[in-house]
Amino acid sequence: MNQAVISCLHANLPAVEAVLKDIELQGITNITCLGDLVGYGPQPNEVIELIKEKKIATCQGCWDEDVVDGLDACDCSYPSQIAERRGHFAHQWTTEKLTKENKDFLANLPYSIRKDKCLFVHGSPNSQHEYLLPDMDAFAALERVENAKAEILFCGHTHQPYIRELANGSIAVKVKNSGSKDIQKKEMNLPMRRIVNAGSVGEPRHGGTKATYVVYNDITNDVKIREVEYDIELTCKAIINAGLPPIFAWRLKNGFEFAERAEDASHVCER
Amino acid sequence: MSQTWIISGPPGCGKTSWILNTFKNHSGNCGYVRLGGYSEINLEQAINSKIDFAFLKDQIPNLLDLSSSKLPLEVEKENILIIIEFPQFFIPKFQGISGIDLRVIKELEIYNLQPNKYLHFGRDLELPIKDTLDFKAIESCSIDLKKNIWDPASLNTFWFELVNGAYGDVYRAKALMNLPDGRYILFNWILTQKGSQYQTLNQVAPLNGRPERHSEIVIQGKNLNFQLIKSTINNCLLSDAVLEHHQATLRNSQLQTSRN
Amino acid sequence: MIERWALISGLKGDLDTYELIQKDLKKTPGNITLFVLGDMIGPEKNCNKLLHRLINPKSNDLQPWCIYGWWEEQILLESGYRGNQRAEALRINKGEEVVKSLINAVDKSFLDWIAALQFGFVELDCGLIHGSSKDVGDDLTLDTPPLTLLDRLTRLQVNRLFTARSTQQFHLELTEGILNSEVHDLTGNHKKEQKVPQKAVIGVGAGKNYTLYDVGTDNTQFVRAGYQSEKKKNGFGLHF
Repeated sequence: MNQAVISCLHANLPAVEAVLKDIELQGITNITCLGDLVGYGPQPNEVIELIKEKKIATCQGCWDEDVVDGLDACDCSYPSQIAERRGHFAHQWTTEKLTKENKDFLANLPYSIRKDKCLFVHGSPNSQHEYLLPDMDAFAALERVENAKAEILFCGHTHQPYIRELANGSIAVKVKNSGSKDIQKKEMNLPMRRIVNAGSVGEPRHGGTKATYVVYNDITNDVKIREVEYDIELTCKAIINAGLPPIFAWRLKNGFEFAERAEDASHVCER
Repeated sequence: MSQTWIISGPPGCGKTSWILNTFKNHSGNCGYVRLGGYSEINLEQAINSKIDFAFLKDQIPNLLDLSSSKLPLEVEKENILIIIEFPQFFIPKFQGISGIDLRVIKELEIYNLQPNKYLHFGRDLELPIKDTLDFKAIESCSIDLKKNIWDPASLNTFWFELVNGAYGDVYRAKALMNLPDGRYILFNWILTQKGSQYQTLNQVAPLNGRPERHSEIVIQGKNLNFQLIKSTINNCLLSDAVLEHHQATLRNSQLQTSRN
Repeated sequence: MIERWALISGLKGDLDTYELIQKDLKKTPGNITLFVLGDMIGPEKNCNKLLHRLINPKSNDLQPWCIYGWWEEQILLESGYRGNQRAEALRINKGEEVVKSLINAVDKSFLDWIAALQFGFVELDCGLIHGSSKDVGDDLTLDTPPLTLLDRLTRLQVNRLFTARSTQQFHLELTEGILNSEVHDLTGNHKKEQKVPQKAVIGVGAGKNYTLYDVGTDNTQFVRAGYQSEKKKNGFGLHF
């Protein structure tokens, strides 16, 4: 059966509406959302209300956490000082606009959702702020899935959709401890695991302007990345009218969101 | 024997690079002066930037700065090559020396310089034909960044946005920037060339406060949103506290390395 | 001259053990650098004398290079050095009495010194840390899955990770391994075969049990303080 996984909606209502329409046209009713309903975009309340209305199972993203708990993210989550300042501005704007009911909704979202062999998280099983980039060290990527006791890990946060299969792995080790003179040798086979990044509905960073999400078939195990066109001009106008930084509209319109993506795959906040 | 040449051409045609190579191939002393040029209707010249001299001086430490009306000493005059750089949008009406704008001749009297050769990019075949855009309208903006130090990742983002049109249509952008690790980098971009050129200069500032050396950005184009450019730059520059944090970390890592 | 590192941890205020180790190291050949991988303090003993000695080494002491450990983190938490957080994990697991004992074991005048300690050192291609690059309390042992060990090595971008949290002495070397990665994205398919790099995790021990590391030969020797002379007779020091 097909199910859709969406992520990083970022208060972009026209994009969310277009993606939900695309999902509906395929006859898919099972949808999971990996968080970041708000942040950067101009329609945070509208997007939350749509998700509530459609009863979409959602886990909490880093933006959802931060607008509730205050700016809790470590500053190193931002790739630059300018990104941080713009982010803080958008954070303040979003916090002021959100209704109490919608803040409560975000506050009560779970960190992860587990469905059989699938685990759904925003960033990684370790943290909502950790980026699992497609080129991160393969063993470290496998460790994230394996330690989470999942076979398929669905994540977002990077805004770049991808499907990564980690297979045919093995590790050999040589062990010595103080209690023994012998050197033990062990070899173990590693399980096959997959990481699926759903990309971003509201702020894609794959180099194009289309919203992205994924469709997963839990019988065939097949995963497809979907790209959906939406009325970007409408969102850009709303960004400007809302008084958000015009650069957000410029990036969205030109597919330049990638200019501000994080580079450090292995970074984990130490706070 | 001393020689005094005037080199002119439109923004981004490769004047400074050509001058650097010419100086490098000259065995005697070298002197340099840059004139500001004259704005025409709808064509605004960049404010007489010191970026070119700072860059050339970094590459050729013995280069004589003749812009302060200081003449070279007698001993320096021997076999000296003096180049006067001069931005000019239009091809001169007359060939050779007689094509020099009279205002330039007048201006050179201050420096007591009499050119014996004049070359213009786009006219003289002796010069490479690279980028001689036919400019119809141009605005210009120059921001003094002396003592300012960029957050490197923010600089990357700002430059990407600048040359991709986030702040208006940029034809030409050129800058000398300070980074917290002491590096001094020349950024150069022109519409017709692929990508930006970056060159780390030889000077490295100590990891202690803000360097006094020249730092500036010059942008030429049209429909430029100067206010947004300035406010974005301000958000990319490091505060004293953040700069000290960066520099202390770098100093400590150097100490640790030396302990090893 | 042979360059060696002596890696100690878990002294928990035990000045006698520290002096014994210093004595041992004076007899150990080579140019020795002494690293103290945290847990200099603990709730069982008054730690002030040891801390004073670490900060003000005697003239014939080897200079100790200290980082903070799990117990230092607890006292910093409880003393307000980590914002609003307190040592709740300690309180829940060991009780209020232990929290009080820890606070009483360390004079407040040492707290600024403890707070200024580093999380770890990176020396050559080695990471020296109390727990791991993930967390000061990360308990790496022989039984930790190799994938987790590799992750901790990768995070720190080192080939050797010296850890102390488990208090165990061990040397685990990742010798071989492979993993195929295939990424499908909007630009197409990208296949990569990744090999396990030659990396190792070394548990340095605690208290009297410490580790000598020969930088030139990459040999690890597990030592018990005060048994140096017997080591040759009984072969207690294990080379790897």
